[in-house]
Amino acid sequence: MKTYLAQRLGIAALTLFGMSLVIFVLLRLAPGDIVDILFSTGGYVNPSERVAIEKELGLDRPLWVQYVDWIRHLCVGDLGKSYRYDLPAWEIIRPLIPVTVELAVLSLIIAVLLGVPTGVISAVRQDTALDYALRVVSLAGLSMPSFWLAMVIILVLVAWIGWIPPVTYVSPWENFPLHAIQFLLPALAVGYRSSALMMRITRSALLEVMREDYIRTARAKGQAEKTVIWSHALKNAILPVVTVIGIEFAFLIGGLVVTETVFNLPGVARFLVQAISWRDYPIVQNLVMFIAVVVILSNLTVDMLYGVLDPRVRYGS
Amino acid sequence: MMRFRIAAALWAAVAVTSLATNAYAQTPKPGGHLNIMLREDLSQGFAVHETSTISTSYPSLPCFNNLVFFDQLKRTESVETLVPELAEKWSWQDNFRNLVFFLRKDVKWHDGKPFTSRDVKFTFDMLREAPEAQAKLRINPRKDWYANIEAVEAADPHTVVFRLKRPQPSLLLMLASGYTPIYAAHVPPASYRTGCVGTGPFKVKEWRKGEYVDYVKNPDYFIKGRPYLDTLRYVVIENRGTRVSALQAGKLDVSFPGETTKTASEQLKKAVPQLVVTPVGQTVSDNIIMNVKKPPFDNPKIRLAVSYAIDRRGLIQAVHQGGAVLGASLAPKPWGVWGIAEPGLQPLPGYGKPADMKDKARKLMAEAGHTPEKPLKVEIVTRAIAVYVDMASFVINELKQVGIEATLKQVETAQWHAMATRGDYQIGANLTGLGVDDPDANFYENYACGSPRNYSQYCNETVMKMIDQQSQELNPQKRLEMLAALQKKLEEDAARPILDWKLDYFTVWPHVHNMIPHNNIYNFGRMTDVWRDK
Repeated sequence: MKTYLAQRLGIAALTLFGMSLVIFVLLRLAPGDIVDILFSTGGYVNPSERVAIEKELGLDRPLWVQYVDWIRHLCVGDLGKSYRYDLPAWEIIRPLIPVTVELAVLSLIIAVLLGVPTGVISAVRQDTALDYALRVVSLAGLSMPSFWLAMVIILVLVAWIGWIPPVTYVSPWENFPLHAIQFLLPALAVGYRSSALMMRITRSALLEVMREDYIRTARAKGQAEKTVIWSHALKNAILPVVTVIGIEFAFLIGGLVVTETVFNLPGVARFLVQAISWRDYPIVQNLVMFIAVVVILSNLTVDMLYGVLDPRVRYGS
Repeated sequence: MMRFRIAAALWAAVAVTSLATNAYAQTPKPGGHLNIMLREDLSQGFAVHETSTISTSYPSLPCFNNLVFFDQLKRTESVETLVPELAEKWSWQDNFRNLVFFLRKDVKWHDGKPFTSRDVKFTFDMLREAPEAQAKLRINPRKDWYANIEAVEAADPHTVVFRLKRPQPSLLLMLASGYTPIYAAHVPPASYRTGCVGTGPFKVKEWRKGEYVDYVKNPDYFIKGRPYLDTLRYVVIENRGTRVSALQAGKLDVSFPGETTKTASEQLKKAVPQLVVTPVGQTVSDNIIMNVKKPPFDNPKIRLAVSYAIDRRGLIQAVHQGGAVLGASLAPKPWGVWGIAEPGLQPLPGYGKPADMKDKARKLMAEAGHTPEKPLKVEIVTRAIAVYVDMASFVINELKQVGIEATLKQVETAQWHAMATRGDYQIGANLTGLGVDDPDANFYENYACGSPRNYSQYCNETVMKMIDQQSQELNPQKRLEMLAALQKKLEEDAARPILDWKLDYFTVWPHVHNMIPHNNIYNFGRMTDVWRDK
């Protein structure tokens, strides 16, 4: 187990190194930089002022020096300073993380609560009207982009009841019911799409397991159908679902851009897009690294969970 | 008779009560909070002097004051609507060579320090990059506005003298722009990128990046009893649909200047009939920039053909659904002060009957050696933003009808100004906003030889003389005539063909009072007199 973990952490370190190189190079390949944007807000360009700003921000240094400098500071927890806001990057990034994590977790909870039971029902009632109905609902969920659903939710609410959720972030400590409403609607929009995916995975995995000999044996032993399904079949069918949950969580951390924008939630993804359009390298680089860490950790957690859920899984051999 | 007297008395009583109620309803009430729309985060914090974007200037207005400002309760901006702010009064002396400001003595900065003439000198020395300036701006977009100032002298702590190289009545208007606040001399200019030490009616309480800016009432404001409101919140909502929904749902009280199109305002009004919609000019024009230093637009005939080819009225209907007006290089009345009104535009290129105009364009193209069989192929650039792309698409279709085949190249904002300033383009579809509806601010910035914002690089000695002459003209009527001639000359030269002047349908909830939009999006929103009755 220890060896396996050490191997995985080693691979994670290599992945992060690769990611850092990719994001650093890609950002510099994109046309324009923060100085162009600053002049853009001024509506003109002045070459001598341009040189001065490049020097002030350290953009006049060779690229490899800039890269080494970033990594060196990152290793000691210094994320640098935002070019746009002239403030420490961590000061800007810190409040964004809980918002996105909360939205992603809530969306996943909704997805699991909706997707897994409907997947089980759909599998158990295979080829019945209920199965078809649930499959249509799940197909609709997969076909509707969550951002579109989010926009529809807002428009329907404002048109029908003249109300929309708060447009500035409400902290749970300040007003919990309002906070819950603010997060529940976007979480429903995102969770519905994810639940469709989980429903389909659960259904297909369960159908496969239900044909196994040990399920027939359990039934032959006279066990209640509920016990057979929930204790024997689902337990063995759950591994692919757990994998999807891990992947979805990692995806949601960086993939909630439009949902956060439509619901005006100050999260990581929305801010990342703003930072990219401003070529705010310290913010973009560090946010991408954060997302990469989340992806690696969630994958690792899922792999570790395999062993808990299925004792046959062994690590390190 | 008796019955008539009773009826008359009752009527009179009702009338008096109604008048009294109206008067009561119109009496400003102190206190309360407003939520105000912002479409993007402050691009450079409160550093107004380092940007030319309304996303910085508008939410910064409550923090600052100018020497003079445009009357916030009047829609039109002109010399007649100037009111004192930090200057109690002003006086032109020495035949408009010296402008003397007598400053208020009861003004304090938000950190408690007294405001003096030193702050005024500091600000304008920095803006005009005088050798004696105590500070330098990182980016100085409006340096040209102050090119005529020879010196700024702090005669005593409460008197400032602006010494000019030549008479320039427009200077007062530029000093009244939302882009000309006074900075504190005791605070580094760079600090305005993260915070705001002003003298204005509100103090910045908190700026949550990407979320909102909160203001609280300045209890030491120099106008006693103002501002009326206790707090303000500028809410950043980047998604247009969410912004409009938030206004409709009452989460926002006030729209963003220049944000509400005619169609959007009609939909809003239909959904919430009590919303108050006021059509105003934006002082933002759609225009065509053609690089006169590069073929094929170094040929005046081809430039003129482009101008003739574009049906302005068609553009206004197709792209703006009627939410724009015709005009030359200055906004026309009643949306502006100095522009040529529609009858005067008729003889200019592109303003006549579309079929006739296109015939003329084809003739010019033929003279330049291009026929339908041998069309001119060009690349038209525009910013990758919907309002630019919609306009550019219309223009491409118009040009095709006169033998110019244009392909569209969308350029990201990060590259746009650098590309335009360097002249790395042939022809472009552009939007230009004027910080103040003033001829000097417009012509020296956008048409003067060598100006970095003269993207067409059009340079004409006669035009430069005309610009200088109108700038020094003290008789307003005579100046108007000179400006009409100058605008005609610019359109006939196709220096930067103006396609339309956009309108804004500024929207507020009826409980918001004294939030009067101006015919210029940059110069209203100080919030001193705004109050709410809900």
